[in-house]
Amino acid sequence: MADAMKQTGQEASNAAYGPPPVIGPGHTFASVTEKIASIVLRKGTKRGWMVGFGLSFLGMLMMLNTITYLVFKGIGIWGNNTTVGWAFDIINFVWWIGIGHAGTLISAILLLMRQSWRTSINRFAEAMTLFAVACAGLFPALHTGRPWLDYWLFPYPNTMGMWPNFRSPLMWDVFAVSTYATVSALFWFIGLIPDLATLRDRATSKIRKVIYGMLALGWRGSTRHWSRYETAYLLLAGLSTPLVLSVHTIVSFDFSIGIIPGWHATIFPPYFVAGAIYAGFAMVLTLGIPIRKYYGLDDFITNRHLRNMAKVMLATGLIVGYGYAMEAFFAWYSANTYEAYMYKNRTTGPYWYIYWLLILCNIAVPQLLWIKKYRESTVMLFVISMFINVGMWLERFVIIVTSLHRDFLPSAWTMYTPTVFDFTMFFGTIGFFLTLMFLFIRILPMISIYEMRTMVPEAKLKSEAHASPDKPAMPPAGGPQESPA
Amino acid sequence: MANTTYNAPPAVSGWQQRALVVGVIGLIATLAGYFVDHDQFYRAWLVGFIFVLGITLGSLGFLMIQYLTGGSWGVATRRIFEASARTIFPIVALLFIPVVVGMHSLYHWTHLEDVAKDPILQQKEPYLNVTFFLIRAVFYFAVWALLASFLAKWAKQHDDTGNHSFRQRLADLSGPGVLIYGLTMSFAAFDWVMSLDPHWFSTIYGLLVIAGQGISSIAFTIVIATRLWHREPMNHVYNSGHFHDLGKLLFALIMLWAYFSYSQLVIIWSGNLPEEIPWYLRRFSNEWKPLSWALLVFHFILPFSILLSRGLKRNARKLVIVAGLLLVMRVLDIVWLVAPEFKQTDVGGLWMYATAPIGIGGIWLWFFFRNLQSRELLPVKDPQFEQALVAASHH
Amino acid sequence: MNVNKESNIYGLMAEFDNPTAVVVAAKKAHEAGYRKMDAYSPYPIEELSEAIGFHSNRVPLIVLVGGLAGLFAGLGLQIWTSAIEYPLNVGGRPLISWPAFVPVTFEMTVLLAAFGAVLGMILLNGLPRPYHPVFNAPRFELASRTHFFLCIEAEDAKFDLGETRKFLESLGANEVTDVEK
Repeated sequence: MADAMKQTGQEASNAAYGPPPVIGPGHTFASVTEKIASIVLRKGTKRGWMVGFGLSFLGMLMMLNTITYLVFKGIGIWGNNTTVGWAFDIINFVWWIGIGHAGTLISAILLLMRQSWRTSINRFAEAMTLFAVACAGLFPALHTGRPWLDYWLFPYPNTMGMWPNFRSPLMWDVFAVSTYATVSALFWFIGLIPDLATLRDRATSKIRKVIYGMLALGWRGSTRHWSRYETAYLLLAGLSTPLVLSVHTIVSFDFSIGIIPGWHATIFPPYFVAGAIYAGFAMVLTLGIPIRKYYGLDDFITNRHLRNMAKVMLATGLIVGYGYAMEAFFAWYSANTYEAYMYKNRTTGPYWYIYWLLILCNIAVPQLLWIKKYRESTVMLFVISMFINVGMWLERFVIIVTSLHRDFLPSAWTMYTPTVFDFTMFFGTIGFFLTLMFLFIRILPMISIYEMRTMVPEAKLKSEAHASPDKPAMPPAGGPQESPA
Repeated sequence: MANTTYNAPPAVSGWQQRALVVGVIGLIATLAGYFVDHDQFYRAWLVGFIFVLGITLGSLGFLMIQYLTGGSWGVATRRIFEASARTIFPIVALLFIPVVVGMHSLYHWTHLEDVAKDPILQQKEPYLNVTFFLIRAVFYFAVWALLASFLAKWAKQHDDTGNHSFRQRLADLSGPGVLIYGLTMSFAAFDWVMSLDPHWFSTIYGLLVIAGQGISSIAFTIVIATRLWHREPMNHVYNSGHFHDLGKLLFALIMLWAYFSYSQLVIIWSGNLPEEIPWYLRRFSNEWKPLSWALLVFHFILPFSILLSRGLKRNARKLVIVAGLLLVMRVLDIVWLVAPEFKQTDVGGLWMYATAPIGIGGIWLWFFFRNLQSRELLPVKDPQFEQALVAASHH
Repeated sequence: MNVNKESNIYGLMAEFDNPTAVVVAAKKAHEAGYRKMDAYSPYPIEELSEAIGFHSNRVPLIVLVGGLAGLFAGLGLQIWTSAIEYPLNVGGRPLISWPAFVPVTFEMTVLLAAFGAVLGMILLNGLPRPYHPVFNAPRFELASRTHFFLCIEAEDAKFDLGETRKFLESLGANEVTDVEK
């Protein structure tokens, strides 16, 4: 514990003495451009990529097969039953949505907080957001049972003369998830425009020039354009920050608005949001550590990035732990029979082992992150983040399945057992996600090139560029107001 | 610059005397109220105490957070947070005594004859009983006092020796410290405020109170920083960048408060369960509805809309008005948490909700200003010190 | 001949290899009275847009308008459908259940504000624009990688092919070239 926070202090003093090591030494405009763009523009494809893509693609095929079968047979092929009406589908939905949140957090919140270390991971994390949301969206869309009628979810004038019920959190979810997907895609695309222009100008083959050129919208780097671009980008970040919090809050409302014991708790919104960030950072590390190694990106995704992410995981993990503690305390303090039974059933009922496995993965193992040595070790970070990925999935299992399978009416109590199609669907979406991820790192720059340019020493303006004195932004009080230094 | 000293300007001792005068007048008025209606006196005292505790502990929390994150806003405001946090012992602890004395008037669960008739209260009895309540209170104050005193002591040693290992120690303590503060404060909020209605519970309640404490402490810090900025030596130090950072924090915190408040409301409103909804029914009754609306408008919508402006956050003269408004709204928010729990037999005693926070606040301010004068206004030996003074001015 | 050539010129493009040089050059050009000019850089440089005299932009206003439109559209949609067009008693909740209408209102506000930011930026910038005369400048493809450019446009009142070229060369440009329309 003692040396746990040592790093913070060192970082604080590092920050004080010169620029933080968010980029390896010796880089120039040309070298960062070259290094990142060449991953995309190289001729031929690495074998490792081909193997990884092939395996992921097989996973995706498994998902497509499951979906096809599901459309023919109905959701009865899953293990859901009348008591446990929500199961793997909603667990996976919440899990994927949560994973997506770290992307927005990194790209928006850290931008607003002027955390320069976000620069080399934001593009990659935003892509992760988009693909995770795509996977998440599949589950409720299929869970409706007749996915071809999903457009009924949206409010549109129809011959039935009906409108959706806006008092239902499931309706809020439709708006939240679709807004989130749209805004994340816009944010991602806006961030890509200048880099697409770089690829257009650097590509040698005609077809690449044309495709990247069209996507770049004719970006030419005009300083007027940059000025509006920066404003729009910052404003999008400002909008995305409350948006990302609202999305998982609304996901938590899906549960807490109802009165099922184990679901109806006011702590749910902040605790779900913290859990989402926790899971999301774990996924960024799970993907980032191997990619960094494979493509030799240590100069751009430095150990400092990994350390900071480890600290964010520790902090959000503790908030999640606070949530568990409050649930446990109030299960007793409420003096409500059903609440108390819910908690007893979680910890000692038929699914007790899932609860304790969850505590192991989400609460016990991540405490290793207090120790500096483990925050420094990529292997340990990878292992711990794998534990968290699993733990966060188990958390949703505990919340959804163990709350539903024994609620108010003992005659309706039952057990839930997943079928093979629950697993093929779940693992299939992992394949789908990785397929999109592999395509992304092959055809688009996975690190924001233009933002990396601002990090290299060359980008620092010399004093003659600052010749005109800053206008005082605040009228002076009693005396000179700007510091003389 | 390194040779400049940053002692508090002489004006501070003047403020200190004035705070004492106001505090004594407020206290005398409130004590007079005791003879009018002592139930009302205890409720008003609880409001004043929770308000002052909010500034103190919110400052303790931010003191630790800025040790963890670094950054210029923290260096520039550290001593103000520290001076607030150092009041936790003895003065804030002493201010708790009337709450203990008035327990029987305030907390329904202390009425053993009623507990005997109420199976739910019987079930809660292992937690909600006088002995354990007092043990917990002593424990909370001990933990907070220890945190504050170690933070203050090592900061002083860092100042005196310039040895950065003390800065390291401060950061080492702050990590677990924030966690400890979050947990103890949550339970203190359950004990002292939530248990006013011993049947009611809300799992987000601790976070809601903590967010309120954050607003109180940042708003208070903005007020003090603006006062200091008008005088030597801080007029050379504070610039629009520092106020911008504080304004952004205030903005984020009122959003957080609104977010927690809304979450609690919509979940309980939708569930509409007999064990939860009465809490809101009381607050949306005709008596308290105007206050509920006032909180929505003046604790959230108005300051939120104003603080959207970048220019305003950078302008201390205007920002301080928003901060002042929010301090008033904090008192009203605590009144909203406390007062509707009681049958208001007589509107006549309501004035004590104004005099008690003024009286307690005045006395507390006297101690705060004493602490502020006892050290330099900036941690001159901090490794980020020089950078903090210039860095904030652009952006 | 000369007249013909001049009428076919979009402007003069000066190339620089570091950010400080282009900011200083832009400042001097602005001081010298040139107004119709633009600078090109591979990443945003705040000082550069200030140097050519571009201070504020209207993107925030568009975002605000978008946000307000979303706010009223979201709230209006819910109130109209739930209370007027299709009134339905759901669990005894009032027809206008304002606590329940907050989430959708919020999402619509953010959605339209984000559209405002993106479309505002793209349209104010006159994008998409696949063809632009500056792309005719030799080596301009470096503007998206390593180099910095300052272009004084022929439309500028003070523009004179010879004089302006001399002026740009005096600013320490690597190279000054004509840009054809």
